[in-house]
Amino acid sequence: MAESTTQEPRPVSPFAVWQAERSSDPRGYYANLRKEGRIDFKTHRWAGGKKGPTAAVLHRDDIGQLLRDVDTYSSEVFAYGPDVHAIPQEIQAPLHTTYRRLLDPLFSPKKMAELQPKVEVAVNKFIDAFIDNGEVEVNEGLAVPLPCMTFLDLLGLPSEELQMLIYWKDVLIRPEIVGGSFSEGQRIQAEVVPQMFARFAQEVEDRKVNPRDDLITYFTTTEVDGRKLTEEEQCSVLFFLLAAGLDTVTISLQAMFYYIATHPETQQLLQDDPSQVENVVEELLRWETPVMSVMRVAKEDTELGGCPISKGTFMVACLASGNVEEEVPESLNLDLTRGDKAHLAFGAGPHRCLGSHLARMELRTVIREWHKRIPFYEVKPGESIEWVPSALRGIDYLPLQWKTKG
Amino acid sequence: MKVAIDVDLCQGHGRCYEIAPEVFTDDDRGRGELLMVEIPADLQEKVRQAANTCPERAITLSE
Repeated sequence: MAESTTQEPRPVSPFAVWQAERSSDPRGYYANLRKEGRIDFKTHRWAGGKKGPTAAVLHRDDIGQLLRDVDTYSSEVFAYGPDVHAIPQEIQAPLHTTYRRLLDPLFSPKKMAELQPKVEVAVNKFIDAFIDNGEVEVNEGLAVPLPCMTFLDLLGLPSEELQMLIYWKDVLIRPEIVGGSFSEGQRIQAEVVPQMFARFAQEVEDRKVNPRDDLITYFTTTEVDGRKLTEEEQCSVLFFLLAAGLDTVTISLQAMFYYIATHPETQQLLQDDPSQVENVVEELLRWETPVMSVMRVAKEDTELGGCPISKGTFMVACLASGNVEEEVPESLNLDLTRGDKAHLAFGAGPHRCLGSHLARMELRTVIREWHKRIPFYEVKPGESIEWVPSALRGIDYLPLQWKTKG
Repeated sequence: MKVAIDVDLCQGHGRCYEIAPEVFTDDDRGRGELLMVEIPADLQEKVRQAANTCPERAITLSE
């Protein structure tokens, strides 16, 4: 904050206080919450939008049950507004199963391995641009543009659209920051979402005439259950990919770079044994759980973890809690050379993250290529680091510095 | 030791075929498939790890 600032600080809402508390120390926050009871019916009411009772599910087994039992718990929570049905996230079986059969192969490990060399080149180009400076704000330099570039490439959109795409995903995911206030954010989002759908429709039309080797073309030509996707379905899928696939990789990179930058022994580990990248990435996904929670809604009166749940209750699957908890004793310790601890960072059940293999490939490629070229670095001294107070937990401003050669 | 994957539970997290590629592979959707059912002694520890790592608990072991 500049010294000359005379403006009164904006009043901080209880919601913001709660979010900040959770984001700054999720492991401590959830450890305390688990002492209060098996399921938390109080503090997460904000996450449900205060539309009804809210139950935050804290233990791994209960979270697994919640996410697997799609007959009892629906994913249709209108995460992107009352008029948007993101495909496949907010669609229920059996149609959901159909969509996943179509989409899973596009994001399979084999497909991602084919894409990896391109991502590796892109990562190195980003690093080229700042390596000689001895410092970078890692979001601006790499963590924001890289997933967006990969997305443009997959979809077959020109790289000139990068800035627009970054704006779009910010409007979707952090409207209150783009707009400067909650209400202005909502207004901008309501204005921009139809523009996005219109743009996708335009691209879909174009691919009908000019088919190419990209996902949009695939969506226009592929058949599921003996029929083609409608244009509305095609646009909803594209919308979902944009909403779910960009910020999640960015915040994961923020969490990982912050952890590694503040742990020289981890930098040494990656220097001594680069084959540990996979284990480090997997264990940090578990430990940091960048997507701290996902939402469901109870379709009927039921019971979970011995607690009665009434129909209409917003269910918060607290992945960050289930990933580090007492009932799974080995989960309480971080061990970066073991990537074999079960975790829920990508969720579980039929709605498990569609893009997990894309995310893993991007995260591993970034960490591997960065450490080849910049093995030792630190957070720029004197800078204060703040976790974004949101269920998507990241660090918007993360300046790193290192010694340059020569 | 014998291993089995419950295909109704598997959601394609992809941990098993990364941890024990000698025993598990991935299908076109990224779901786990078995390359063998009877597990030789030298692979049993890896297969135990893969089973423990499965977030869906879709892998079962039997003697």
